Amino acid sequence: MTAGTIPTTEPKGGHQSTGELPQKIGQLSPSWIVFFVAMLAVTAVGFYAYLLQVNNGLIVTGLRGLGTMAGATWGLYVAYYVYFIGVSFAGITVAALIRIFRIEKLEPVARIGELLTVVSLILGALAIMADLEHPWRAIVNLFKYGRPQSPFFGTFTMVIAGYLFASLVYLYVTSRRDAALLAERDSRFKRLYRFLAAGYTDTRAQRRLDRRVTFWLAITILPLLVIAHSTVGFVFGLQAGRPGWFGALQAPGFVVLAGVSGIGNLIMLAAIVRSATRTKGRITIDAFSWLGKLLLGLLITYLYFTAVEILTITYQPGASELTLSEALLSGTYAWIFWGAIASLVIAAVLLIWQALTRRWSIGLVVATGVLVNIGAVAKRYLIVVPSQTHGQLLPYSTGTYTPNWVEWAIVFGLFALGALMIGVFMKIFPIVPLEETDTP
Amino acid sequence: MAKYAMAVDLGRCQGCRACMEACKIENNTPQGVFWMYVFRTETGEYPHTKLDFMPRPCQQCNNPPCVKVCPVGARFQREDGIVLTDYDRCIGCRYCEVACPYGVNYYNWRTPEEAFADYGTDYGDPQVAAVTGGLIPPYKNPDLARLQGKEQRLTAGSAHNVGVMEKCTFCVQRVDKGLEPACVDVCPVHALHFGDIEDENSPISQYINQRTGFKLLEELGTEPSVFYLNGTPPGPDTREIERPLTEVGS
Repeated sequence: MTAGTIPTTEPKGGHQSTGELPQKIGQLSPSWIVFFVAMLAVTAVGFYAYLLQVNNGLIVTGLRGLGTMAGATWGLYVAYYVYFIGVSFAGITVAALIRIFRIEKLEPVARIGELLTVVSLILGALAIMADLEHPWRAIVNLFKYGRPQSPFFGTFTMVIAGYLFASLVYLYVTSRRDAALLAERDSRFKRLYRFLAAGYTDTRAQRRLDRRVTFWLAITILPLLVIAHSTVGFVFGLQAGRPGWFGALQAPGFVVLAGVSGIGNLIMLAAIVRSATRTKGRITIDAFSWLGKLLLGLLITYLYFTAVEILTITYQPGASELTLSEALLSGTYAWIFWGAIASLVIAAVLLIWQALTRRWSIGLVVATGVLVNIGAVAKRYLIVVPSQTHGQLLPYSTGTYTPNWVEWAIVFGLFALGALMIGVFMKIFPIVPLEETDTP
Repeated sequence: MAKYAMAVDLGRCQGCRACMEACKIENNTPQGVFWMYVFRTETGEYPHTKLDFMPRPCQQCNNPPCVKVCPVGARFQREDGIVLTDYDRCIGCRYCEVACPYGVNYYNWRTPEEAFADYGTDYGDPQVAAVTGGLIPPYKNPDLARLQGKEQRLTAGSAHNVGVMEKCTFCVQRVDKGLEPACVDVCPVHALHFGDIEDENSPISQYINQRTGFKLLEELGTEPSVFYLNGTPPGPDTREIERPLTEVGS
């Protein structure tokens, strides 16, 4: 959907209209068009790769069977599915912090976070669909024969359906006021705003009602968030048949790393939005320092979990755990493992230094956001793949797995699709909530 | 109700892999797919090495992790203990494959046309046709396309359609007719035995009771229905002597 497809309304020259929409909404600058076309192209390449896969089977990917085929049957798609679901952590957490703990400084980035949640949940759902040969059969059969005993069932119902729906409702409820305010101005989106506002009138009583509704909504979604991210951890943590998966730490580890990658993504996106929509006055260093502190807390928790994990797999491992830990710490996967640890530790050091000196810099906080996401992607990959190729419980040969261009094309296509969704949203609706003083 | 089990006499197995061949013929499995597989392993350091053979069908667990994780109930266990896949219902998520510690699951990575095309035989060649008498290509076991058991589900192997999981079925199409699985039937040294384990007087019950043995990875609580007799389980040092079949299917 492009901005041009939305019907324009007749200019009425009403008494209260300013004509101008905030945050460069509706203005298609040359750089935005370049961004749009580039992302569209990458998405198209990903879609082409997906068609290739649908027509020929998953044989066109680098995935192969376990055991005698000595491959990995879950690869990049599952790793990125876990990653995307993790990124969705950001939105509702920030929303909850604002509503429950009244951290008003985060208010300007709240909608960015909520949008990030919705978009990343959609991308996670698409990533898992890319992993299936029969996505339509999957959707039909999950309705007809779904079994709650399977950890995957939680993924499809709780995460993708329940959590996504709740987040969409939250995004809408918190956006209605802005839609009502904008509907009073003459613009090409006037009719859309009026539709979205759905009879909203900006009164004091209504605002109080809004606050109460969003507070309870945040409280309701918060446990859903923990359950949803735990469910993804249970996909691996409940399986005794693979070395390195079985363990009580998997679910909480997934929740915390989800937070790390989600907040890191929010920081990056907030920095981009800030310069793209000319809202530097709104999204200030205060928001970034708050997000930085939140990220630091989660990151230190995750590093602690990682230390516990390393100690557990090296102190007195079983035979197959030993094979796996050798592959991770000094073998095939060592460069990914230590690369991930290095980026997470450097990010933590950068954040601690800023926290101690109490001098926060947006550039440095954004750098930590990038670093933790590199670390998170690598850690997701390391959870999914090495347990399949190394340390098999029967004397199968050691496996190998290298993702090929089809898988990378689909993954990059998903990222581009997400960027498109956010980019188009920014041109239609204020991504930074309007201020109280914006009341006409 | 019968409870089916298999006994593998490791003292008898000579690693000829006739069972693997019989399985492929009975179940028409594609290239690179071995519902029955025979490990040829080596333990120890040269020159003090020990060579072993270990047939590995599906262990037909009574607490099967694959059945537990299946999100749509395509993988299920019948009353007689056989664990089967409903090929019409499987969505191809491959969770059963990662959950199974035995590595018995095979996913159909390719379309059947491609999966069977690689055998490399030109069936049109007059010399080949003279031998096959027009029976190939391809020989198809008609029983595989039929619905099986009282559940009447497509579980016997079907057409090996792309994007669904499959594995050893204990030759359900033969068992339902009162026959033994193809691997058991063909074994030249009677290393494989099959029958009703609930009946104490059945030949397989007596065969197992008279010998010592183990079940594979029993410590994981999977309760396998395959008994290994007259041998030792593979240790941490045991390794396959053949290169993996990675190039197959690529």
